[in-house]
Amino acid sequence: MIGEISHLLSLSAVLLLTLVLIFNLFFSFNKSHPNQLTLSMRLFNQSCWLVFISFGIYLYLAISDDFSIAYIASHSNSQLPIFYKITSIWSAHEGSMFLWIVFLIAWSYLFLNSLNKNHPLKKLTLLMLSLIILGFLLFLLLTSNPFERILPFGAIEGADINPVLQDPALAIHPPMLYLGYVGFVISFSFITAYLLNGNFELQWEQDIKNWSLVAWIFLTIGITLGSWWAYYELGWGGYWFWDPVENVALMPWLAATAFMHSLFASSKSDVLKTWTMFLGILIFALSLFGAFIVRSGIIDSVHSFANDPERGLYLLSFSGSITLLALTIFAYRLPALNSSKLVVSGSKESFLSMNNILMITSIFSIFLGVTYPLIIESIYGDKVSIGPPYYNTIFSPLILIAAAFIMISIDALWQRSMPLRTFFITTVPPTLLSLLSIYIVWRLTGIFSILAFIGILSGLLIIFSYLFKTIKNLSKKKYINKGSAVAHIGLGLLFFAVSMNSILSYEKNLNLAPGQTISVNESVQEFHFKDIRVLKASNHDVISAEVSLLHDGREISLNPQKRKYATRGQITSESAIHASVLKDTYLTIGDQLENGSWTFSLKINYFIKWIWLSAALMVFGMLLTIFKKKAL
Amino acid sequence: MNQSLRFLIVILPILILIFFTRVLLIDEDTQLATFEAKNFPTFELDDLNGRPVQSESLGGIKLINVWASWCITCLVEHPFLTELSENNVGIIGLNYKDSDTKANAWLQKHGNPYLFSIYDPRGDLAFDLGVTGAPESYLLINNKVVGHIQGEMNQIKWENIFLPLIQKAQQR
Amino acid sequence: MGEYLSTPNSESSAKIMAIKRFFTVIYFFIFSSFAFTQIVYEFENSLQEKRFYSLISEIRCPKCTSGSIASSDAPVSRDLKNKVYQLILEGSTDDEIKQYVSERFGTFSDYRPSLSGSNYFLWFGPFIFLAILFLIFFSKRRI
Repeated sequence: MIGEISHLLSLSAVLLLTLVLIFNLFFSFNKSHPNQLTLSMRLFNQSCWLVFISFGIYLYLAISDDFSIAYIASHSNSQLPIFYKITSIWSAHEGSMFLWIVFLIAWSYLFLNSLNKNHPLKKLTLLMLSLIILGFLLFLLLTSNPFERILPFGAIEGADINPVLQDPALAIHPPMLYLGYVGFVISFSFITAYLLNGNFELQWEQDIKNWSLVAWIFLTIGITLGSWWAYYELGWGGYWFWDPVENVALMPWLAATAFMHSLFASSKSDVLKTWTMFLGILIFALSLFGAFIVRSGIIDSVHSFANDPERGLYLLSFSGSITLLALTIFAYRLPALNSSKLVVSGSKESFLSMNNILMITSIFSIFLGVTYPLIIESIYGDKVSIGPPYYNTIFSPLILIAAAFIMISIDALWQRSMPLRTFFITTVPPTLLSLLSIYIVWRLTGIFSILAFIGILSGLLIIFSYLFKTIKNLSKKKYINKGSAVAHIGLGLLFFAVSMNSILSYEKNLNLAPGQTISVNESVQEFHFKDIRVLKASNHDVISAEVSLLHDGREISLNPQKRKYATRGQITSESAIHASVLKDTYLTIGDQLENGSWTFSLKINYFIKWIWLSAALMVFGMLLTIFKKKAL
Repeated sequence: MNQSLRFLIVILPILILIFFTRVLLIDEDTQLATFEAKNFPTFELDDLNGRPVQSESLGGIKLINVWASWCITCLVEHPFLTELSENNVGIIGLNYKDSDTKANAWLQKHGNPYLFSIYDPRGDLAFDLGVTGAPESYLLINNKVVGHIQGEMNQIKWENIFLPLIQKAQQR
Repeated sequence: MGEYLSTPNSESSAKIMAIKRFFTVIYFFIFSSFAFTQIVYEFENSLQEKRFYSLISEIRCPKCTSGSIASSDAPVSRDLKNKVYQLILEGSTDDEIKQYVSERFGTFSDYRPSLSGSNYFLWFGPFIFLAILFLIFFSKRRI
């Protein structure tokens, strides 16, 4: 019964939004009658609240174990802690789509109501957002209805959700990611409204700047959480696999990063406006593309929701239509947008422009990698696989070029070429120091890998150039852009840590019986398999191994486990990780052999903590930028 | 220059849309990915009754079915295989990583649709064939592997993937 | 010890011999039980070991929706890992090993697409794209 109320509320929202659109269609686009807008906003706000309440009720249904709702019955269970009853809502397609839409509505609601009622773009933005929200609500209710009931009696008990999903990081990863993805609907709609409106004297950048920065933060956190979870949960010690679903999250992130930089240029210097607008549209378009790829199931990925061509077609046509609408308006207005200003070679603007080009190329590379297997299969029928070897090879040179430009552009000037003297002062010290460091790394480790060394060089170039700049400005008591420095150092650290990880990390597969000790190598002097026990926990049986290691002189205790869950009989492996500053000692237990011994997989992963630190630095840098006292 | 750029900005998304629509509309089960025909691997194994398998017995048109007594999904496809065998389709079993006692007991209990089953306890032949698990099926025509189906064999897959290949071979 | 075993010249010597044999058997059992305490995938040198772990991260798991055999616990993945190990010890090159796997499991199983035919566009496409964009930028200088 209560489920039907929730359902009805969402349906009513659809009705109201349709009213908003039809109502405004009867009036011409450009004339703005104040009452028309006020009434439209009222209808819109009411429909937003209808969905918020609908979702709130849905939360209640999940917490109170209403198993007459099919989705809740198949994804939740009365034995789950309340936290996981709530997070089970977005553990599969219908519920996560519902959450996605709620966030879409939340962003739209907050943004629209923050706009002054006389803002010239308010009405058009309202219409754009209403259209998008309506389309997704219809998608939800028509093809992926979370309100479907099991009639007449409902299920007695819910199916236990996948135990792998009962994890705090994994539970928060989708909401963070969605907040990021859908946050860029603001820039998408606002820019489209601006283009439709046609008055290009208007300043639009300031209105969406902070909204976009916040969305970027959520997107960064969401991607990082996913990577971190994969690292400690999946058992193979990797944190990024260039899986299609990871890739479709990375593409909007790259576009968003480019957008932010371009926005900086276009609001300061009146150039790159066209680039910025294009990027602002591209981000959400890529988010839509990502949603399509994940939810239609056309690409093989560990992450995909179930294959459903009907949903795929709806998503594809709807996302495609909206994107085409925005891009067509953009293309139509392009001649009027071109400013007469030329970009000066060697100026800050030119570097930002080149940054955009590099980002677009990165996005293109990923898009190519994701769609290439599909293209080849549809033309030749061959099956091709594309993975880390491809992406690592392509990104290596791109990253180096980017790092070089980042380094050079630190002291670049607005609208003026960089003097040659400045160029040398900026680039020579960091370059020399970086090359020296690489030489040291090579001598210390004895390892040589072109791709990895390019990555290390890129990271060091960025880190050293920002350090030099910061120290120089501190000593001269000049202004330091703290946010930018922290974020870029974070980026450099990411390149550095990932590359060091790839050359230093190694794996050993071992085979011991309980009670035995083995010496693995000079670093892992002792590996002592103390004991193995069988335990019982609330909903699973556990095989728990006690291992103590003597690793580089330090005693480490590790406790890897294997669990068998009661409800679905699923077996999961819980790896034991000891994370120290320089490296992670990562132990996974394998199988028992006929002679009673057990196999173990021991991985020594270097610089892992530095990878997480780099993401934290980038987010922190962005926060510093948002809360800067001076306006941009 | 500007004109072509504007054109490109609109055309590219349209092309991408058309491409993905096409991909979506091709149904997985009916899609015929080009399968590279290859020779059936050489092997020296016995059948489940302990007799060496002669390579001549693999001639003609045969369905090779990978199965095991521990494989649960094999039970799901079993009735369809029985139906096929009753309709004069020659099915040869490939008993994968199993014990012969358990395998024979399984056949006794559920029925034997196979002309005979190759006993591959270590999975060596299966590995050379590219088997990824059980159940799995291959179509063998004149000692050449021309078709491959992962997962259980059923009416839809048989009609859409293997039957056209058989018909093509019979026309020659 | 040898002189005691070779010349039993009294009952006590025979007893000593029996005790020695007994301990030999015990030592044998103790040492053979250490025989399986080992590093699985032991190689002749570290280059082979590096090649192994690198190869298994580039060979796709035939049964999983996505992922390499390095990250998969499926039986067929394990068989593949063992085979790669064996082939490295036998002296096969990386290309030969990948060829061996592809013959059995399809081109699908190599995560590194070959540099041939249409794949040229795959590998060089991004850089051509970059070059084109750079050219446009430099010629227009308005973007």
